[in-house]
Amino acid sequence: MATSEEDAKKTYADFENKVKRTIYIDHLSPQVTSSVIKAALSQCANVVDVEFIVNYTVPYDIPSAALVELDDEIQAKAALDLMNDFPFIIGGMPRPVRAIRAKPEMFRDRPPRLGIKKEFRWVKQEDATEYEGIKKLRNLVRRQEAENMALIKNQLEEENELAKQQQELLNGNYKKYDMLEKIKQKGSITNLAHHYGISLAEE
Amino acid sequence: MDGSNVNIQFSWGKKSLKRAKGGAKMDTLFYDSFTFDNVKYSLYDCVYLFNNGDPEPYIGKIVKIWQQNQAKKVKILWFFLPDEIQNYLSGPVMEKEIFLASGEGIGLADINPLEAIAGKCTVVCISKDERNRQPSSREQAMADYIFYRFFDVGKCTLSEQLPEKIAGLEVNVLLNPKAEQITSCSGREVLGVDRKVLNGPVTAVPLLQSVVKEGESMVAAIPLTQVAVKEENVRKATKNVPKPTENVPKAIESVPKSTGSVPKPTDSVPKPTEIVPKPTENIPKATQKVLPGERPSKRVKSSEDVAVQNMTSDVPDRTSCPGPLELASRQADRSKWFKMPWDLRLRNADQQGTLVYIQNLDIQFGAAEIEELIRDALQLSCIAKPINHPTYDDPNNGKAYAIFRTKSAADTAVSKINSGLVVCGRPLYCSKGLLKVPKPSETLVGHLTICNLKIGQRQREEQKKAVSTSHCSQPNTMEYELALDWMLVREKQEKKFRILQKKHKEERKSFASKIGK
Repeated sequence: MATSEEDAKKTYADFENKVKRTIYIDHLSPQVTSSVIKAALSQCANVVDVEFIVNYTVPYDIPSAALVELDDEIQAKAALDLMNDFPFIIGGMPRPVRAIRAKPEMFRDRPPRLGIKKEFRWVKQEDATEYEGIKKLRNLVRRQEAENMALIKNQLEEENELAKQQQELLNGNYKKYDMLEKIKQKGSITNLAHHYGISLAEE
Repeated sequence: MDGSNVNIQFSWGKKSLKRAKGGAKMDTLFYDSFTFDNVKYSLYDCVYLFNNGDPEPYIGKIVKIWQQNQAKKVKILWFFLPDEIQNYLSGPVMEKEIFLASGEGIGLADINPLEAIAGKCTVVCISKDERNRQPSSREQAMADYIFYRFFDVGKCTLSEQLPEKIAGLEVNVLLNPKAEQITSCSGREVLGVDRKVLNGPVTAVPLLQSVVKEGESMVAAIPLTQVAVKEENVRKATKNVPKPTENVPKAIESVPKSTGSVPKPTDSVPKPTEIVPKPTENIPKATQKVLPGERPSKRVKSSEDVAVQNMTSDVPDRTSCPGPLELASRQADRSKWFKMPWDLRLRNADQQGTLVYIQNLDIQFGAAEIEELIRDALQLSCIAKPINHPTYDDPNNGKAYAIFRTKSAADTAVSKINSGLVVCGRPLYCSKGLLKVPKPSETLVGHLTICNLKIGQRQREEQKKAVSTSHCSQPNTMEYELALDWMLVREKQEKKFRILQKKHKEERKSFASKIGK
């Protein structure tokens, strides 16, 4: 039994080490694959492993996320700094990705942690006051969950708005440049300049 | 995973000395051993077989191996898990104990296509009978299972006494093999096997499919009788032998008996994907009332399902690779099932009604802790995985999916947990079934495209490549400003989330203190 405890400790220590080396990237496009991430980060870190997070709980269309394991903690810090100082864009513009340090609870397949209290008790209907209290607490938790979901929805809508705005801005800009280009090509700009008496000489 | 084109390795071993040829047309050949998917199986080895739709495989002993025309078949003598005969059990059950079928009747042994075999396992007999070679304590500790009792399938009784014959075989061949014949297999060897096995089942599925189509009538016939009798004989936790298959890459106790003509139990290696074997004791726990007629079609359909899912599942493949390494900790693995891809298992479990969604756990809990908790609190075993999404989910509220063995177990769990299980001051609540999550869309909100652009063929390709390159946005581009907009929005979002989560935490704390009074 002693060895299994030691083993467990060791496994968990390894896991903690891994957590330190891993960064969590989200706001990823669903099109991004692990090779894209590897290539993206190759300038500052060597990627050991990429694990995509599957969305099981959020009933909305959310961006992808991944846990990226790097060679060591130093590289992880370098990558984080890079991505937080400048908008780092992976696969598609202009929405940048976000990177933060990984935390143990992000990993789905984590080893058991020693020393976690798992005490449980049954609250029967007979213990009236306690039962009522527990029921209220449960309702509270449910309400909080709903609030959380509402916030998520709200944020996704905001993001949509921003994206629309930016797209319009981009389109407008594009049209402007396009028009300028066309005029230049067609030479009508020289006519206009002549008409208004403005010289087109480049300075 | 491109399963459909790969063929699983197979080769025959020694021909049987006892029965060389048989069958009415002398077209049946009997064998003593074979190698399947690079694992050697011999007569009297203990093996795992997978039943479509069940997360757990069955355990059986190979008692006959033969080939008739093009079909390779094995006759399997079944072992029962304590769960399956719990109605007839009384008294304590040892750890890792299983029961060998004996007597006459349905449920004793079945003929299956050889491809149904999912791997080997070790079963050690600890009966004190003089005919049985007593295993060393090391053997006993390292075995996957032990048995010393027999379950008579005709009389439905349990007995410790060795019968003279089982399924027409002398009972000697079913006990422990002679000591010299035990081979230990190195972990590495098993690892190698395992990885191939990883690819194996996927291909086994198309193989089996064709077998099913040809032998559909035969297959259909067997479950018919099986199901019919089963339903009479067994209630609840069925005699179906979906069994956990943790294979230990430790000493494989090959049980070559002196006569050596009966396939032996062999150490099976966990398979991450589901095989569609045709063991006839196939009542998926959830659907015991299924009409016999439905069953074969169900199996064929799911096998196709499995094939497709296996080929498209990418992440599950990764998560299932740790299989061999986890074998070492059998203690914890006892209630773990075959390493099927988690997503596939979720879907199956949802179909069978064994999936439960638990909320309000401590987010620190890992899979093992949740499983242990369920075991302690409800005396039910399950597989669980925490499923919180790191970006969006409330860190105060840990969520997990738990797959139970039977539908009734899942139902009991739900009602019990909802009625008042409190873990470290947190009342858990749960519901059944899979959450509806929309499929992620093709492109990310916020990835803009320039429309109205007439792009030539080459340019389009370049643009495609451009999508997959990544860079840091430089301050002199328009893109930079847009990107900054996004970062601003994100910061705001994070702040909002933080405030909300803090508020939740405070609410909980104040509530708890109020209750405490």
